[in-house]
Amino acid sequence: MAANMYRVGDCVYFETSSTSPYQIRRIEELNKTTSGNVEAKVLCFYRRRDLPNPLIQLADKHQMAQSEDSPVAMKLKKICLKTPVGEEQAAQAVLDPALAAMEEESTELPGTDGLAPKQRHQAKHRELFLSRHVETLPATHIRGKCTVTLLNETESLLSYLNKDDAFFYCLVFDPSQKTLLADKGEIRVGSRYQTEVTNLLKEGEEDPRISEELETLVWTPEHGLTDRQIDQFLVVSRSVGTFARALDCSSSVKQPSLHMSAAAASRDITLFHAMDTLHKSGYSIESALSSLVPASGPVLCRDEMEEWSASEANLFEEALDKYGKDFADIRQDFLPWKTLKNLVEYYYMWKTTDRYVQQKRVKAVEAESKLKQVYIPNYNKPNPALITNNSSGSKSGVLNGGTNGTPAPQLCASCQVTSSNQWYSWGPQHLQYRLCGTCWQYWKKYGGLKTAGVFSESEAETTKSVREPDETALSAPHRPHRCAVLNCAKEFKLRAHLARHVATAHGGEGARPVMKTRAAFYLRASPYTRLARRLSRTLRRPKHYARSPFSPINLTLLKNDCTAGAEAGSASGAAGAARVRGPVGAVAARLAAARGVPLSRSATHEWLLLTPKDRMPVPDHVAFPKPPKAPDGSLLYERVLSRGELEARRAEPAPPLKRRAYDDINGLDTTTPGVGERSRETLAPPAKRPNKHPAPMQRPSREQYAAMCARAQATGQPLPPHVFAHVNGKPTNITGRGGRRHVISWMDAPDDLYFRATDAAKAARRALSGGEVRRGARAPWRAVRAGGKAPPLQLVILD
Amino acid sequence: MSMQPHSKKRVCYYYDSDIGNYYYGQGHPMKPHRIRMTHNLLLNYGLYRKMEIYRPHKATADEMTKFHSDDYIRFLRSIRPDNVSEYNKQMQRFNVGEDCPVFDGLYEFCQLSAGGSVAAAVKLNKQASEICINWGGGLHHAKKSEASGFCYVNDIVLGILELLKYHQRVLYIDIDVHHGDGVEEAFYTTDRVMTVSFHKYGEYFPGTGDLRDIGAGKGKYYAVNIPLRDGMDDESYESIFVPIISKVMETFQPSAVVLQCGADSLTGDRLGCFNLTVRGHGRCVELVKRFGLPFLLVGGGGYTIRNVSRCWTYETSVALGVEIANELPYNDYFEYFGPDFKLHISPSNMSNQNTPEYLEKIKNRLFENLRMLPHAPGVQVQAIPEDAVNDESDDEDKIDKDERLPQSDKDKRIANDGELSDSEDEGDGRRDNRAYRAPQRKRPRLDKEPLQIKDDLKPDDMKDDVKNVSNAEESKKDMPPNP
Repeated sequence: MAANMYRVGDCVYFETSSTSPYQIRRIEELNKTTSGNVEAKVLCFYRRRDLPNPLIQLADKHQMAQSEDSPVAMKLKKICLKTPVGEEQAAQAVLDPALAAMEEESTELPGTDGLAPKQRHQAKHRELFLSRHVETLPATHIRGKCTVTLLNETESLLSYLNKDDAFFYCLVFDPSQKTLLADKGEIRVGSRYQTEVTNLLKEGEEDPRISEELETLVWTPEHGLTDRQIDQFLVVSRSVGTFARALDCSSSVKQPSLHMSAAAASRDITLFHAMDTLHKSGYSIESALSSLVPASGPVLCRDEMEEWSASEANLFEEALDKYGKDFADIRQDFLPWKTLKNLVEYYYMWKTTDRYVQQKRVKAVEAESKLKQVYIPNYNKPNPALITNNSSGSKSGVLNGGTNGTPAPQLCASCQVTSSNQWYSWGPQHLQYRLCGTCWQYWKKYGGLKTAGVFSESEAETTKSVREPDETALSAPHRPHRCAVLNCAKEFKLRAHLARHVATAHGGEGARPVMKTRAAFYLRASPYTRLARRLSRTLRRPKHYARSPFSPINLTLLKNDCTAGAEAGSASGAAGAARVRGPVGAVAARLAAARGVPLSRSATHEWLLLTPKDRMPVPDHVAFPKPPKAPDGSLLYERVLSRGELEARRAEPAPPLKRRAYDDINGLDTTTPGVGERSRETLAPPAKRPNKHPAPMQRPSREQYAAMCARAQATGQPLPPHVFAHVNGKPTNITGRGGRRHVISWMDAPDDLYFRATDAAKAARRALSGGEVRRGARAPWRAVRAGGKAPPLQLVILD
Repeated sequence: MSMQPHSKKRVCYYYDSDIGNYYYGQGHPMKPHRIRMTHNLLLNYGLYRKMEIYRPHKATADEMTKFHSDDYIRFLRSIRPDNVSEYNKQMQRFNVGEDCPVFDGLYEFCQLSAGGSVAAAVKLNKQASEICINWGGGLHHAKKSEASGFCYVNDIVLGILELLKYHQRVLYIDIDVHHGDGVEEAFYTTDRVMTVSFHKYGEYFPGTGDLRDIGAGKGKYYAVNIPLRDGMDDESYESIFVPIISKVMETFQPSAVVLQCGADSLTGDRLGCFNLTVRGHGRCVELVKRFGLPFLLVGGGGYTIRNVSRCWTYETSVALGVEIANELPYNDYFEYFGPDFKLHISPSNMSNQNTPEYLEKIKNRLFENLRMLPHAPGVQVQAIPEDAVNDESDDEDKIDKDERLPQSDKDKRIANDGELSDSEDEGDGRRDNRAYRAPQRKRPRLDKEPLQIKDDLKPDDMKDDVKNVSNAEESKKDMPPNP
């Protein structure tokens, strides 16, 4: 139970994303929200992997500087830690040439001596960087406790490695400034800081100090009185006080009862006064008694609590409400006749009263939203990355892709074990790495893999595209960075050095190619995969799998199929191999012979002859007219307006509304003369915003188009906006000049639309002949002419 | 200065009845009122009548500039809440404003706090007292010309400077949860004052106090820093405090001790993060007191004021060698101590991040440093002639032992009787005594003082602890060439 109790001040794991390592936070506050949820205000710790690259190098150097006390190291410490580093360049600038030698040395944490490389690698996972960054997270995302302590140089890192959930930190990271600082103050040395030490008094030298000037004795234990005598005297002084209150008019108002008078007379001020009196009368009870009851009447000692009238007390409470504990203000505005000391003394006594206790209770209710601890049960929901048993076959196996270079997908990517209770997919999808249960836990907690060897971690982590592979796999068998420039191939330990080398030796832009942003991949079908595709029954539906690449394929079945198919194939020849049928003429002849109409070789049937070009039917409607040809034979495309021109055009008052390209296209045919009689059948898809254009435009014929283009070419004027070439129903602006395609902005892009086939539509489609279907697909705006019973088609326009 | 066994120490206590009325400001954690609460508890516990009570003088600017710079003290003297606007620049320079606000009577407050510690030091110098207490002092962060961490005038430095007139070497121990940086800095380059600070280190005010800060120049190895982590409990604290302090005593051999008793190392402190109880905290006072050196106790931090006054009341009783009841007596501020109205507090269940291994490593490193001191005796485990102190308690010894230890244990230990004997009447703390006595042997001045602490002072649980430890130790030192 205690393990699930999280308190303010605890360091905890937070899960903010199921597929990335936990974040390590320290709980600063726990607040209950109005909805009853608990929010944790947390302080962030950063992992090594969260830090920008140059800072990690600085951190390493700092470590070195700490471990060696050489002057160079000290210097380094100062430079590294004092200089804010925003960019890599800045970081590089920080590195003094004198320290260049050190850069080449391995950068290891102190205390790593005697650690195996694997442990050294793991130690990096235990290092955190404190920050002052505070954020608020829901407490339900807490996934357990951990400890974060400041590394002490006497400790070996092994002590952290040997303990679960133990982290250390040395430096403070500022995420906004991108700086690292040592969390360390400094004892300054110099005459401005140290004191002059007084010398020992010499023999016979007089000490000018006289105690009597420095202090006043108010009580000495050398009084010769017994404890009992003192106690008795205290009782007497209290009774005198009670009697004095009885005599005092103002007191009798405040303390109407004898009990209250006695209580008031028992307050500490009376006791202190009694002690003082004893002391002053030389510890003689007798003379002390007489000074308690002087001629003026019995001594009355009242403290602030008693001194204050009820109305003053009320004023004070009112003022406290208004100003808080700003006693100077309270005095000024409410109780100017009191001194500040009166107020403070009264305040601290007032705190013992019931009225304060009541107020405190009210405050306690208010403060209830501030929790001291919160119980978060263990989180048991499976992680989405968990590979469940039934799908593990397809996950780890071939996904209609065959063996695409995944290294041993059955192994844990970290510890290489083959059997585990649980498997988690890890890294980018396409690499299909997976981790065993323990390695997954390790990765979630410590943000790295147990071993640095096989894969470079960050390469496999898509989330960390910014980071360079070798930074997480720090102490991995080091792979040098090689300059990619031809005939150079110099090797560098750190990527930053390579970047600098490229920049200086090969010119500025060279740094770019070093950066690898994303692992590109492609699916390479091995011959065996291709064979499997042919052989296996389960893969006989290529169209289906193309449409739904995510649908699992049963691998074992596939294998069986393949082996069976291969055996059958070796017996009866490749089943799927295309038969050689000969040229079409020969086939026709064979078919004719089969029908009993022998085909003479010489006589060519009319239907077998190709139609000459000039007798080809001319379509009465050209959907995509070719632009006119320039004299040199190249096509003349419409010039697309530059933004400036477009703006100028828009500024013209004529079309009041912003026109959209597709508005012009939609609905054109309906009013085109010459096709008007067919308008019923050639209804274009309904525009979502119909008739926005005030004057429906005519679609130009090919000749008109050519003429317009020529004119535009001659005058340098742009074509009217409604003349567009369009491709696949999407308007595309193409210019003749650069031949570059201008993509229209998303604002102008047409709404997405798709065709939803209802059952009726599907049925109607089945009634159509193949040719009609194809025609319909090519000219979707044309109504299908089938049998008059064509149901209304449904078009859905998506916004 | 010879004492009868179990005699009470002469204790002087410095207090000004005004001190509780200085107010740092709204929301400020530092509350001088805690000193008054302590005082009222002392009165009602009957401890008041057992001490010499002094009202300190107000330290003069001249006295304060023995350490502080003239312009800083001049500034403190002239600044008031109503003229801060005229002093903007100086306020920045002297770090007065945020943590160290300008409040009404600021200078007087400093005067009283410093006056108490200086007067106490003079008192010790005159040998007019063995233990002096100034709960109004202990403002260990104040620098030569800079206020810091609620501290303006460093009364401790002023007190130590006074002690240095009569004492060649003064030891300063700081058990505040914060590092005693002001005192350490003031004496960073001298070998006449050793500063030993036990404090939380790492992301914590004031940021100094690293294990590696050991002093500079002549003062190298004369600054001892014990960086600790959250959750120090009584047991861990003692396990590091005892060996370090006894080693320091052995090697540095001071002739006076100043102990800063910052009570923010108590559990549940508003600013602290340790888990000490009043007993564990007071144990440090008890252990230091046993060395029988002139002893100045000052206050310090402490921001959960009910616990601060509990703690300092208890520590006053420890200094006096008087046992006080766990039941708190009625006093003006009784309601502050609810709901239990007890003197002692229980630790919280926070986890202790200081592992025994960590503490052991720290300890060893510090021992290495202490070995560098010129006074350090070459050999630490010496055959100690056992006869000198033991006679008087020998009989009690055996009786106690029979009561407590099984026969087998007793048999095992017969050879060591002499070793066990001295403190047997106290029933505890044997290891500490022996460890402490080693240096004392070399210094005749201390020889006359075996332990004065009354055994019944110590809580039972502690007795057991110490017994176990001492047993362990004994087995190490099992074969002294006992004559």
